[in-house]
Amino acid sequence: MWSFFSSVKLTIAALVLIVLVFIAATFLPPDDVVQTFAHQFSPGAAEIILFFHLSDLYHSPLFYLLMTLLSLNLIICSINRFPALWRQYKAPHFPEPADSFDNLPQSLIVTEAKEVSKIKLIVKSCLEKKYRSSEEVDTEIGSIFYAEKGRFSLFDVCIVHLSILVMIAGAIIGSIFGLEANINIKEGESVNIATLAKGDGIQQLNFSVRCDKFIVEFYEDGTPKTYRSDLSFIKNGQVQRRGTLLVNHPLTFDKIRFYQSSFGAAPEIKATVTYTVAGKKSGSLALAAGDTFDLPDSKARGVVLRVEENFMQMGPAIKLRIISQKKDIQFWVFQQLDNLLAMKPDLLKEMPIFNPGLFTPFVFSIDRVEQTYYTGLHLVRDPGIPLVALGGLLMIVGLIIVFFISYQQFWVRVEKEGAKIRISIAGRSNRNDQQIQKRIDSLCRQINEEMKT
Amino acid sequence: MILSWVTFIYFISFVLYLFRLITGKEFWGRAASFLAWGGLSAQAIAMIIRWRTSYSLGIGHIPLANLYESMVFFAWTIMLIYLIIEWRTKSKIIGVFVVPIAFLAMAYASIAPGIDNRIEPLIPALQSNWLTSHVITCFMGYAAFAIAFGYGLIYLLKNLDKDKTEKPAGFLEKLPALATLDTLIYQSIALGFVFLTIGIMTGSIWAHYAWGSYWSWDPKETWSLITWLIYAIILHARHVRGWRGKRMAIFALIGFACVLFTYLGVNYLPGLHSYLRT
Repeated sequence: MWSFFSSVKLTIAALVLIVLVFIAATFLPPDDVVQTFAHQFSPGAAEIILFFHLSDLYHSPLFYLLMTLLSLNLIICSINRFPALWRQYKAPHFPEPADSFDNLPQSLIVTEAKEVSKIKLIVKSCLEKKYRSSEEVDTEIGSIFYAEKGRFSLFDVCIVHLSILVMIAGAIIGSIFGLEANINIKEGESVNIATLAKGDGIQQLNFSVRCDKFIVEFYEDGTPKTYRSDLSFIKNGQVQRRGTLLVNHPLTFDKIRFYQSSFGAAPEIKATVTYTVAGKKSGSLALAAGDTFDLPDSKARGVVLRVEENFMQMGPAIKLRIISQKKDIQFWVFQQLDNLLAMKPDLLKEMPIFNPGLFTPFVFSIDRVEQTYYTGLHLVRDPGIPLVALGGLLMIVGLIIVFFISYQQFWVRVEKEGAKIRISIAGRSNRNDQQIQKRIDSLCRQINEEMKT
Repeated sequence: MILSWVTFIYFISFVLYLFRLITGKEFWGRAASFLAWGGLSAQAIAMIIRWRTSYSLGIGHIPLANLYESMVFFAWTIMLIYLIIEWRTKSKIIGVFVVPIAFLAMAYASIAPGIDNRIEPLIPALQSNWLTSHVITCFMGYAAFAIAFGYGLIYLLKNLDKDKTEKPAGFLEKLPALATLDTLIYQSIALGFVFLTIGIMTGSIWAHYAWGSYWSWDPKETWSLITWLIYAIILHARHVRGWRGKRMAIFALIGFACVLFTYLGVNYLPGLHSYLRT
């Protein structure tokens, strides 16, 4: 069992199967299409599709099984490897590996008589200049110095594998404890209930969000330029935070991140209406069909019956009903009344219902009629993110170590050979042997130069 | 305008690399390299001009925002990485296999139907500082894989010859040794793998800010992960099972096919990366 989970064959098999699942998943059409298709042809096929979650393989038991296998494989392989790596990490640097000083190509320096102690000092300082610290041991043949670089790179693969496990852990935490939901808020309204992204559930928020304004801007060629929501976050009846939400610039409130994800036209349109009393501007209202409003000083109440963007080809118009103690009248207010009167001066006589001043002394006019929007927000709370980010960081660090850093060890032997002193340099690395030879050569040159001075 | 000249220059450079390979005269090689460097610089200037033009149009953004611009940048990174390798290894032979990839990318960008070479404004989802780092790292990765593909092709060509005759015929003799090619394939794949990893991660961070999730199983994300896994399998097979030579070369080709699908093929599947769709 243990050996099954620790085999590289399992790793490769799991990876290949995961790749196949991914390929299938990107080519299978989305859920609803599959469902209708399968139902049309055979109910059996639909059941199979449902059973294997074929339309959403990324969340299917099959995929979870493969990921579990891969994770177990990673964990068990790491456990298996670790003791050996640790021994290698802690391994004594002396004696040097057998034969390391045999068959050395050109890294031998034979010098004329000079004091051995002086040469030792030179070797030591050269090693320490390049590799920070060195160790020394005396043997019967002579002294051997040791220096090394990048010992931690022994754990490179472990770091990469650990990073994958950390990311998987983050993803699991996110999917269990996270929240993903959507809300649509009409301009001017506030909402404190969100619809969960998966399933039909709802999530009660302990604050409410108000959309103060939604703006969509376009470039000259018609492509969208900006989607922007001005939001207020209200908690305990008070606005705690105001913010502008843009795509790529989420807002965070109460540990929940808000994203601009969509927008749409609300069913109603809104008119900005002003009215004058005896020629003096006295009020302005934003009204949609069905809204009511009170007129000051007259105990009258207005009801908006209709708001039209283009009423009978005569432009934007609203129909109002004003109820007071004496009267109950209905009339239309046109935005472009001046134009209409210019074309047809008798209009108000023929059609008194088109007179915006029918309820004296008030005269109504329209500043503009516009579509109201709702903004679509995406809400996310994901406690797994710190782990996923940590995993990502570990992976980059691990990969850089794997590909660019190696564990290099150097042994320098200083021995007396008759009247001469022989210095031999040997080295090894856990990978890429070309580089180690270059380093030995450069160390050799350096020692040579130091000795001349 | 400059870019169509660059396309032409890359083509001539390719022809000269071919001349050098056939005749063995170093003169052609020097001329080819000279042209290739010239093309690279001209292309860099053209991209900077495009960048500045976009600002004068009032929709300023780095020219990495649609399929055309990414294709041009792809060709540029291939040439850049190739010329750096040529300079460091002093070997001009793989130019014959790599420069045409850059030429084809340039040609495809300018003549393929439906690829719009106009400077387009950035839609809200693309208005992010992560655009630059994401696209640059991804294309560095793609370019390194393209070069591994070039080495893989040479390897297989040379390998075909190895079995047949005692004496290698013609230009195959001049190709680098199989062992050298194997190392070069491995090094390009390793470089590409690191860049692809960083590219996926920058994309993930960007998605976190733009879409609210660091991973959404969008087809492009999934395919980049498939590509990543395939190269991961190759690297494991090499380290653990000791795969060398022909198998590495074949996998370099398979991996690059995946890269191309991730880059171009995925655009025909529905998904969030749709701004690249033609």
